[in-house]
Amino acid sequence: MRRFTADLHIHTALSPCAMAEMTPPAIVRAAAAQGLDMIAICDHNSARNAAAVQEAAGDALAVIAGIEITTSEEVHVVGLFPDAAAAGAVGARVSETLPENDAEAEERFGRQSVLDAAGREVATEPRMLSAASTFPLQGAVALIHGSGGVAIAAHADRPSFSVQSQLGIFPVDAGLDGIEISAAGRARGRENDFSLLALPIVASSDSHFLSDLGSCSTRLDVDEATFYELALALQGIGGRRCVLA
Amino acid sequence: MNLAAMADELSLGKLTPELPDRDGTEITAGYASDLLSDVLAHAAPGGVLITAQVHLNVVAVAAHVDLAAIIFSSDRTPEDAVRERAVEEGIALFTSDETTFDIAGRLYALGLRGTHG
Repeated sequence: MRRFTADLHIHTALSPCAMAEMTPPAIVRAAAAQGLDMIAICDHNSARNAAAVQEAAGDALAVIAGIEITTSEEVHVVGLFPDAAAAGAVGARVSETLPENDAEAEERFGRQSVLDAAGREVATEPRMLSAASTFPLQGAVALIHGSGGVAIAAHADRPSFSVQSQLGIFPVDAGLDGIEISAAGRARGRENDFSLLALPIVASSDSHFLSDLGSCSTRLDVDEATFYELALALQGIGGRRCVLA
Repeated sequence: MNLAAMADELSLGKLTPELPDRDGTEITAGYASDLLSDVLAHAAPGGVLITAQVHLNVVAVAAHVDLAAIIFSSDRTPEDAVRERAVEEGIALFTSDETTFDIAGRLYALGLRGTHG
């Protein structure tokens, strides 16, 4: 068993609210500088930049393809997948339920840049990624599971867009595989609020700026830095585990 | 104002006809929110909630706060499981094609008031 440091929730410039500096090569450099062994790319309602970050990283660090789905209840759910194709399939299903983006929306909410591994913009996303999808929480979790992924309640401690803020009571039958605590929540020990749910807890930066990367992370006790080992760690199989760093 | 009068005045759709004995229940207050954490913290017992939130938890939270009824605004319709749970909990559910703002305004005009939680 080895120890790896993971930051499992990072946005790229595809997310309208993320900075233009969040390009694949810049994210990889910042992650390496922070000593991260694994990151997950989770843009709002799309996974279109995940493969580019994987390509930019090469063998330098493990990059998990993910997504942050906004459910119809406006709950944010992180999905992490075995590969970029699985994430992309889910992203396509989610984004097709969103309204069309237009120049005014881009002006107001931010540019949605689809980037290549070198960080060049190759397209802009035509759907409004800041909007809520039509998938309810349970449907989003089922969609993630159906593509072989794991579903994590994003920034569960936060007063906006979290399971708790939107639904009041944590639905234990939602099928979620884990709970994510924000950097601010971690600093205040908010993970203790969720200890009774018997779900694994990870801490992630939810980076929208390069300087956020690694501001909070999770230690993975696993055999190697892969999605499958991460999935086993979330289930606590064979002594593997997630530990708040 | 009781639930039957409210449904009549606002031409609400009844989602829980299994609860006819609730018709005479007096409504004590109104509350409007889609954030169930907010409902949990601030809604008053015996009140009616106007919401666009159709997740099953809306009934769990309403039961916890002891609300009398829920009105789903803008034609939002919950799944059957939500309706069944509401019948079990004795909470009357209604639908309206009007927005939350308009429903709240009409109830206010009928004399219903909010509470300061």
